[in-house]
This record gives sequence, structure tokens and C-alpha cells, in this order.
Amino acid sequence: MTLEIQNLHVRTEEREILHGVDLVVRRGENHALMGPNGSGKSTLANTLMGNPSYEVTEGRILLNGEDVTDADPDERAKAGLFMAFQYPATIPGVSVANFLRMAVNAKREEPIKVKEFGRLLGESMDLLRIDRDFTSRYLNEGFSGGEKKRAEILQLAVLQPEFAVLDETDSGLDIDALRIVADGVNRMRVPERGFLIITHYTRILGYVRPDFVHIMLDGRIVREGGPELADELEDKGYEWVREEVAASAP
Amino acid sequence: MPPSFVEDRRKAALEVFESQPVPTWRRSGFWTTTLRKLRLGELEPRRYTPLEELPEIVRQDLGDEEHAGLMVQRGASVVYTHVADERIVMMPLEQALEEHTDLVAEYFARRLPYDEGKFPAATAAFWTGGMFVHVPKDVQLERPIQIVWLIDEPGTAQYAHTLAVVGEFAECKIREYFVAPDLAGQALHAGAFELYALPGSHVNLAHYQDWGSGEVYDLSTRRVEIRRDAQVKWVPIHLGGHLTKQTLDIITAERGSDMRHTGMYFTERDEHLDLFSTDKHEEGHTTGDTVWKGALTGESRASYEGLIHIVPGASETDTYLQTHQMLLSPNAKGDAIPSLIVEVDNVKASHGGTVGELDEEQIFYMMTRGLSRTEAVRVLVEGYFEEVVQRLDDPGLEALVRRRIADKLRGAEQQVREFVAERAEAA
Ligand SMILES: Nc1ncnc2c1ncn2[C@@H]1O[C@H](COP(=O)(O)OP(=O)(O)O)[C@@H](O)[C@H]1O
Ligand SMILES: [Mg+2]
Repeated sequence: MTLEIQNLHVRTEEREILHGVDLVVRRGENHALMGPNGSGKSTLANTLMGNPSYEVTEGRILLNGEDVTDADPDERAKAGLFMAFQYPATIPGVSVANFLRMAVNAKREEPIKVKEFGRLLGESMDLLRIDRDFTSRYLNEGFSGGEKKRAEILQLAVLQPEFAVLDETDSGLDIDALRIVADGVNRMRVPERGFLIITHYTRILGYVRPDFVHIMLDGRIVREGGPELADELEDKGYEWVREEVAASAP
Repeated sequence: MPPSFVEDRRKAALEVFESQPVPTWRRSGFWTTTLRKLRLGELEPRRYTPLEELPEIVRQDLGDEEHAGLMVQRGASVVYTHVADERIVMMPLEQALEEHTDLVAEYFARRLPYDEGKFPAATAAFWTGGMFVHVPKDVQLERPIQIVWLIDEPGTAQYAHTLAVVGEFAECKIREYFVAPDLAGQALHAGAFELYALPGSHVNLAHYQDWGSGEVYDLSTRRVEIRRDAQVKWVPIHLGGHLTKQTLDIITAERGSDMRHTGMYFTERDEHLDLFSTDKHEEGHTTGDTVWKGALTGESRASYEGLIHIVPGASETDTYLQTHQMLLSPNAKGDAIPSLIVEVDNVKASHGGTVGELDEEQIFYMMTRGLSRTEAVRVLVEGYFEEVVQRLDDPGLEALVRRRIADKLRGAEQQVREFVAERAEAA
């Protein structure tokens, strides 16, 4: 069971942002996608989910062998794909709990029983050490940066997707919150689930050890390796990658 | 014999009514509300005999919630009166003129001049039946006072007058419902509403209008006066009406008074809605908070103009007004204008507004959680109105409003979907 990205070219109205990205995430694997700001990480994540602001001009996305390049976002969600947003939208007037129940029911034939949902939500909240009254607040309305990130991970925990893309979930979290979120992610790392953790810093990777590391620069994946690549990056910084890429250019 | 102050007012009003042409309201050249198609001559007040049972449409809307008192006026006649809480006075206004003459005389039409226009004059001249509510000093009601204006036959002209007086330190909920089935033909509701919230009282007031899909014209004036240290929470809800032209005024008349004014409208098909509300601060040390939200589908037209008016001398007033409008169809046209007249220094007054369409980023976000585009739109619109709905603080009425919003969205589903997709393409 895999999430496969093949030769993906993506553009916005103005210009091409991704220039042929290849990446394969198998279930049970944990991949880190690293890169400086503006390198195209969020573009990739959004394209995986089918954000209509981005157009795929070449290549394709396969989910468990099925081409979902043109599928609507809700179809992808139902097929098991999830993204924790870097900048999640605010949904006024809709409580976290209500929204989550709708999301859970979207994937089911029969609506979930109130009790069962309560248990699922309760467990996930305990896992992330989220206060009970959090779920009666309107989704992301007036949330701090950290609360928004936690709400994203709460959704991940409740929805239990097959593949989860976390777009800079670590940024904006203080060290305690980061630890809690990382803890939660680690517990969700099961053989049935694959992760693509997008990050600018290596910080979170100290808690959530990746199996593979990919470095993106200017819309291309330019280096790939094991967890040691993240350590090397930590020591040498993105400038080092940039110079290496420039040096090896024909 | 009704007291002369009423008869004199009727006579004077009749003269105004007869001397004035049918008005057309124009604002800034491009917004016009016209009664060109109203065939006033073909409409007439219709009298009905009392009912034993509530009409089906009324029962549906009110549900089986318990009330402190309930009155229904059908056409020109009060047909149903049930007062469950003996501490209050609730009866047809015509009857109150006889039985509570002094009290009625003190308040009747104090804030409703008969010469404000042709239709206020018509109401003053022709009203029959009418509603009178008095919640005496210190009485605290849990259950709502419910007033229903029902039009169930085309050709009806309903001239309405409601007078409500809430005594000192009393607390209550007052609801007026304006309902009609989907009439095949024209009808008119020309209404006058006045509420006096006496010192220290707390009133939760709602107006629920749903005239159905028939050709019902609603030309009404509603005024709320709030006295010292009293508070009125007012929630006007507009969910249907062929053409609505209303003046909605809420007045903090004495120090320490507080207005919470939260309205909504949802227009569809070829409905035309023109609302002008004024939050008037007549005294200093008063507070206000106004939020209006609208959504438009079909080829409907909706204009909301909200004015904060702070008169000379009303310093230390703290108030704001927000207007929001959401377009859900390419063929609907809306206008939401907040404005401010401040005639004194040393106040806090601000206003703001948004006019927009559904946000594609929000829709995308919800779709990534498995909701279809249609569901996402529904959830967004319901969420948008939720702030207003919750201010009703009345589970029965809240459920009714939510249900009607959902109905309307279902009715406009195809259209909204196309519109949102079209906008997404264009973006
Ligand atoms: N919706 C968009 N419209 C126009 N330009 C965009 C859009 N999204 C991203 N970009 C541009 O694409 C580049 C990559 O952005 P992004 O994918 O957000 O990078 P990252 O997540 O790695 O910081 C940036 O130059 C950014 O300005
Ligand atoms: Mg990013």
C-alpha cells in the first residue's frame, strides 16, 4: 500500500512551482520532507490533497495504485489521505466536536453512535492532552498558533487515515507542545499508516525519527537519504545543500 | 367606545394616508424599492372567528414549547389567546384600550408617529385586533410570550399593532412570528411594533418572519425603547417575504441602558428585502452591540443599512455595529451599509462590514476532511448564521431557524454549487 508521486509538475497561475517531484511513501514508513521556505513543500502537500489553486501539468499521484491526480479533495480524504495544514482555515460557528463528527461520518455508511464518537474523541484528546472545553470552541476561531496545530493533530488522531502529510506542524509550537504532538504522532505510527512530515527545522525529527529524508530546493527533491541526512543538514544548513547542488550541476 | 386618543389618531392618520402617493424608496441612485406591482386596491382586511385549535402552520413553527402566553391574529382578527402565566397581561389591543386604558394611554404610539409615511399612516388608521402585552414590575418569566401574525388567504391586508410594556426589573422573552403558507396571490402586512423596556428590566426579543413563497409585502416599523439600566437583546430574523421594507429602531433612552441587536436575513428566488435599522443613543453612558448577517441566493435583492446615531449630550456611549453579507448566487444583488452619525465627543463608536462570497480555502479545508462540496457550503453558511441563532437563547426557535436555513440551502443547492465552482474557476 503506497502513496506514489511521479514526476509531478505543478503550477499556479503565475508560474511552475514544482518541476518534477518523485516520492514514494509506503505504509509503515515515516518520511521527512525538508527544505527552506519557499522551496515548494506546501505546494506539494496541497497538491496531494487536490487544492484547486494548484494545477498539475505533468506527472501523477497514485494512492494504493489508483490515480487520484484529478480526484476531488473529499474523494482523496475518503481514500485515506490526510493533511495537517500549515495554515488551517477558520470555520466560524462550527465547533471542533461537530466538525469532527461530520468528518468521521463522511467516511462511514452509518453515522457513528454518539457514545462511540465520544469515546474516540476522548481518547484522542487524552493522547494530545487537550482540555475538554476545547472541542466546544469554533474550529480555529481565535485559536493561537499552537492550538491550531493541536486541532490539526486531533483530527489526525480521530480520523486515522492511511497516509498523513503534516505540513510544518512543528512550527509555532513551544517545546512542551512539540513534545506532546510528537508523542501523539509516534503513537499513531503503526504499520498500517505512512507519514510524510514536512518541516523546515530538524527539531521535530529529534522526537519523530524518520526512516527517510528528502530535501527539496526550488521545486525539486535534490538530496535523499536516511535519518543521518537530517543530522548532516542540522550541522551544515541549507546553504550547504544549495552549494552542493550548484557544484554538481552540469 | 374606544378612547378618543386612538380615534383622533386614526382620523389624522387617514388624512395622511389619503394625501400621500404610494412611495418609492431610492438610495444613492441605484437601490430602489418600489411597490409598483402591489395592487393595494384589491387587498382587504379579513375578519375571522376565533379558533379552538392552533392552525397547523402555527403549530409547526412553534413546536410544543410551553409559553407564558400565546396570541394569534389571523388577518384582521385575534383568533386565539391563551395566557398561561397569570402574572402577565396579554390581550387584544382593542380590548386593552377598554380594560387598561391608563396604561395603554401612557405608552400607545409614543414612539410611533402616524405621519412618518403612507404605510405607517395606514397602520395607524386601519389597525384592528392588535396585541397588548404587559409584564408587570418584578415579574420574571422563564417561558416565552408568543405572538403570531398569520396571513393564510391571498387578498388579505393585515394592519398590525403590537404594544409591549415590560415593567421595572421584570425579565421576559417576547417573540413575534410572521407566517403565511405559500400563498397563490398577493397579501400585505403593514405592521407597527413598540416595546418599552422600563428601568432595570431585561427583555429578550425576537422577530421571526417567514411569509412563505407567496407574494406577501411587509411594510413595517418596529421600535424598541430601553430605559435606565435596562437591557434588550433583539434578534430580528428574516427568512421569507416577497417584498419587505422595514424600519427597525432600537433606542437607549436613559443612562445605563444596553442594546444587543443581532439580526439575520436569508433571501431567495426573486425576493426583495430593504431594511434600515437605527441604533439610537439618546443618553450617555449607554452601550450597544449590533451584528447583522445576511445571505442571498437566487435572483434576490437584499439591502441592509445600519446606522448608529449618537445624539448631542450622549457622551460616554460605547457601541459598535457590524454588517456581513454573503452572496451565494451570481444573480443575487446585495448591499450592506454601516454608517455613523455622532453628534457628541467622548464616545466609543465603530462600525465595519464585509460583503463576500464563500471562501474557497474554507471549502477546500473541509473537503480534505471528507465533506462534499455541497456539505461544506451548507456547514459554512449554517456556521455563519450560528452566531445570530445562538443569541435567540431559545432552543425551540433556534431549531426552527436552523431547520429553515437548511431547507433554503437545499433548495438552492444546485445553484450554489455551480456558483462556487464557477468562482473557483475564475479565481
Ligand atoms: N497559491 C499560490 N499562488 C501563487 N504562488 C504560490 C502559491 N502557493 C505557493 N506559491 C509560491 O510557490 C513557492 C513555494 O511556496 P510553498 O509551497 O508555500 O513553499 P514552502 O512550503 O516550502 O515554504 C513560493 O515562491 C510561493 O510564493
Ligand atoms: Mg509551507
